[in-house]
Amino acid sequence: MTLLPWLVAAWLLGIGLYGIVTSRNYVHLIGCLGVLQSATYVLLLAVGYKWNAGAPIFYSHPPGTPAVDPVVQALVLTDIVIGATVTALLLALALQLHKKRGSLDPEELRPLRR
Amino acid sequence: MSRRLRLLLFALAVLCALPAMWRIAAHMPRFGAHPLPYGDAINDAAPRERHVTNMVTAVNFDYRGFDTLGEEFMLLCAVTGVVVLLRGARGQDLDALPGVVAGREIADRADATVLLCRAIAPLIVVFGIYVALHATVTPGGGFQGGVIVASGLLLLYLGEGYRGWRRLVRSRLFEAFEGGGAALFVAAGLAPMLLGRAFLENVLPLGQLRDMLSGGLMLVVNAGVAFAVAGGFTLLFIEFMEETRAVREGDDPGEHPT
Repeated sequence: MTLLPWLVAAWLLGIGLYGIVTSRNYVHLIGCLGVLQSATYVLLLAVGYKWNAGAPIFYSHPPGTPAVDPVVQALVLTDIVIGATVTALLLALALQLHKKRGSLDPEELRPLRR
Repeated sequence: MSRRLRLLLFALAVLCALPAMWRIAAHMPRFGAHPLPYGDAINDAAPRERHVTNMVTAVNFDYRGFDTLGEEFMLLCAVTGVVVLLRGARGQDLDALPGVVAGREIADRADATVLLCRAIAPLIVVFGIYVALHATVTPGGGFQGGVIVASGLLLLYLGEGYRGWRRLVRSRLFEAFEGGGAALFVAAGLAPMLLGRAFLENVLPLGQLRDMLSGGLMLVVNAGVAFAVAGGFTLLFIEFMEETRAVREGDDPGEHPT
């Protein structure tokens, strides 16, 4: 049980990498990058977890009640927003690539093959 | 490199990394039962020192505010990159018709869809503003609220179609939001320096704990982030939707000759 969060993070990392290695389409590859990135979310949130502790919001609980680590949560929050915009940037690149070359298959788009 | 060779290399890399991964996982601190020195310090200090109840906001906009400034500019760069990549080809056209793929008709929208989108989209925008405004007291903040506002505006696209949506959602305004939000963040950082204090030092009155207007300078930073995120995400939607409009004479179609 105590190993589970770390193994989930490692699994997400591995399966994301597998997707990137075997990808036949750049849109799929960008999706795999998202999966890969979510490994960091799981890892960070698991590091900051504490049993029997609430959210680090002291609105309905007075300050001083046990709460999980807010530092990693703040990291994950900005990570998600930046991840979304970077995904958009990559998708824009894929779109332009498809316009210029008519394909999104990494196998066909190798720079040295032409 | 052939497909099979690449898979083989990947399997080999995984085999090499697996024992190390397992060792690290087994030696990680016990899940949920190890000390959290930084988190506990923030949880202890922020309600006292900054009069806020949302610790994540305190970390993002105050204790780690300088890092968030960097992240804010990453957002700005990514959005600028998308705009540069996509706007160059077709340009803006507010009156263009939606593009049509040969052999695929565009079905009329059902009245129920239009009605639901018109009813729900403003509510979602208001909810996004609410989430952004209550950054320092309850879960939420500029990042989350900005994304919710942008998604509410995207719902209008579903209801109004390309033309109606482009008439409602002007990119000028959202460009100003995006750049102005980032500028507001920087200004909030530089303003304390004019008073001879440190960058981003919280010099404004802190307000009452559990009050919406608590947190001092965090409120200004939060507003900057909310504007930048809402503007940035809406600009992304606008640029991707521009790609769906019909190509007119004089536009550079930029398509691959097939």
